[in-house]
Amino acid sequence: MGFDEQLAQFVFAGLKSGAIYALMALGFTIVYAATGAINFAQGEFFMLGGMLAVWSLDALGVPLLLAGLLAIILTSLIAVIFEELAIRPRRDADPLALIIITIGGSMLISSLARHAFGPNELPLPPFTEGGSLHVLGALVEQQAVWLWLLTALAVAGLTILYSRTKFGLAMRASAVDREAAKLMGIDTRIVVMVTFCLAGALGAIAGVAVTPLTQTAYSVGPSIAVKGFSAAILGGLGSPLASVLGGLILGLAESLSVAALSSEFKDATAILLLLAVLFLRPEGLFRRSRREKV
Amino acid sequence: MRAVLTRMGPGGVRLVAALLAVVGVFAVPLVLQSTFTIKILTFAGINVIIVIGLALLFGYAGQISLGHAGFFGLGAYTSAILTTTVGLPWILGLVAGTAVAAAGGVIIAVPSLRLKGHYLAMATLGFGEIMRILFVQLRDLTGGPDGFSGIPPVSVGSLTLETSGADFTLVWVVAIVLLLLAANLGGMRPGRAMRALHGSEIGTSACGVDISRMKIVVFTISAGVAGLAGVLYAHVLGFISPTNFSLNVSIILIAMVVLGGPGSLAGAVAAAVVLSLLPFLDAFVPGVPREVSEFIQSWQHDLYGLTIILVMLFLPRGLAGGMRQLVRWIGRRPSVEGDTA
Repeated sequence: MGFDEQLAQFVFAGLKSGAIYALMALGFTIVYAATGAINFAQGEFFMLGGMLAVWSLDALGVPLLLAGLLAIILTSLIAVIFEELAIRPRRDADPLALIIITIGGSMLISSLARHAFGPNELPLPPFTEGGSLHVLGALVEQQAVWLWLLTALAVAGLTILYSRTKFGLAMRASAVDREAAKLMGIDTRIVVMVTFCLAGALGAIAGVAVTPLTQTAYSVGPSIAVKGFSAAILGGLGSPLASVLGGLILGLAESLSVAALSSEFKDATAILLLLAVLFLRPEGLFRRSRREKV
Repeated sequence: MRAVLTRMGPGGVRLVAALLAVVGVFAVPLVLQSTFTIKILTFAGINVIIVIGLALLFGYAGQISLGHAGFFGLGAYTSAILTTTVGLPWILGLVAGTAVAAAGGVIIAVPSLRLKGHYLAMATLGFGEIMRILFVQLRDLTGGPDGFSGIPPVSVGSLTLETSGADFTLVWVVAIVLLLLAANLGGMRPGRAMRALHGSEIGTSACGVDISRMKIVVFTISAGVAGLAGVLYAHVLGFISPTNFSLNVSIILIAMVVLGGPGSLAGAVAAAVVLSLLPFLDAFVPGVPREVSEFIQSWQHDLYGLTIILVMLFLPRGLAGGMRQLVRWIGRRPSVEGDTA
């Protein structure tokens, strides 16, 4: 394999994890916009997506496609229940209080998943059987194509929802100023609820799509949450497109660091990037430096 | 009893409590027969030490750290490597472990505390994860995922702490000293400034307090204290591994602080002791069957997560606030009929 092929291989690997990070970053970004808090339990939605798909397939015996769909729906439901029970009662509290609640939620959800599905790594078959595709001299699994397709669909759907529908307008309005949105007759309660539902779905889509490639376990949530959060910070916790770009950049950076250095510190790359951006450009890579408006 | 307490004043109560604690620290290892029980109490004391630092951070600076297991581990590994691999005396390991953890605290605090809000939480989360990765990957130094064994027991000069009773006494003496220091900090100028900080940042700033510097100082202290606890942990246990310093540990520590309540050292210490002993309930409460402890152990992470949520929702002032409410409620009870308030 020549240098070009190797590079292509690493780029595809980067785009693969980048897609996951993008979906996770979107989850963080929309919840941040709606509540002003970082939802630490976002990684658990990813975990639940994969685990519930495995469970639907094995325990319920439904076909793979249905299992994936069921997993996404159930995870969204769990996300809504979590929001209604744990976030809503303190929604107007200091964001720190909400963050602490989601930290507790993360630990609770992953521990419950361990009791429900056991401590082992669980596999999911790929959506379509068959060998890898040859693209630009690199090997790309069919599942990776599914992953990109689902990511693109999710991003497109979310963008349309946000920019073309009345509900999206309500969501954007309450992100800018919750009190003002309320005064304009927007039910911010519903906005937050739907936002969590979407965040659950985004996490679950990522989980369902990537489990055939990586397997899953009850404990995968926090580490993917750190990555997704890093991507969201790279994107400046702002627009959906910036989050997606943040995810892809993070994935590529990770993959290229593996190529240049070694795989041992792959996970550290994302975090170092996170810390660097937090410290040097807290407004993200794409936004012009933030100015307080009077 | 109440009259006596009132006459003594808070200073007197504190003095009596301190005296009782000192007696307890030496008496407990003599009274308790089971080494296992003493060890559990020793580890509870180590948690108490870390939680004192975290409570200062949470209560006085209004910040949480998701990476304190990282500072804890940094102290533990630094001292383990210096004493075991290099062969330095324990006291140098103690100083170095504490200093390295505190230095790590400065590195994280200086950039992230300039920013408002959740950035410290996320930066500390990143720090904790990087530490865990380093503990696992720097195999030559740390022993990798298999852990680091053969760490010598605590020794100063010719005195070596051979028994678990002696370890218990050391850990709890450190805990009590830190507790007294932290409690006095609360009454002195830096402590008042810190509490004001939690009340209103702008107001505090207007009173001439350099907020960022204050927060950095608090965070550095809490990181150093966690490092100190790590040193004690390494030498008491003799073996450390990356799982001892995972994100879960950081979250459990947060559960203790949250349960204790912001601004209350006593609450945080009580919560740390309760949550540390809970999985070993049968060893401390007579009549509790082993099965209950086993059940708690298997569900302990669910319990910690649920505790955090429930406390934040229903008891935001924590155990300490709950106790105060209870006392007030009991005190008010008799006059309910005549009092519309």
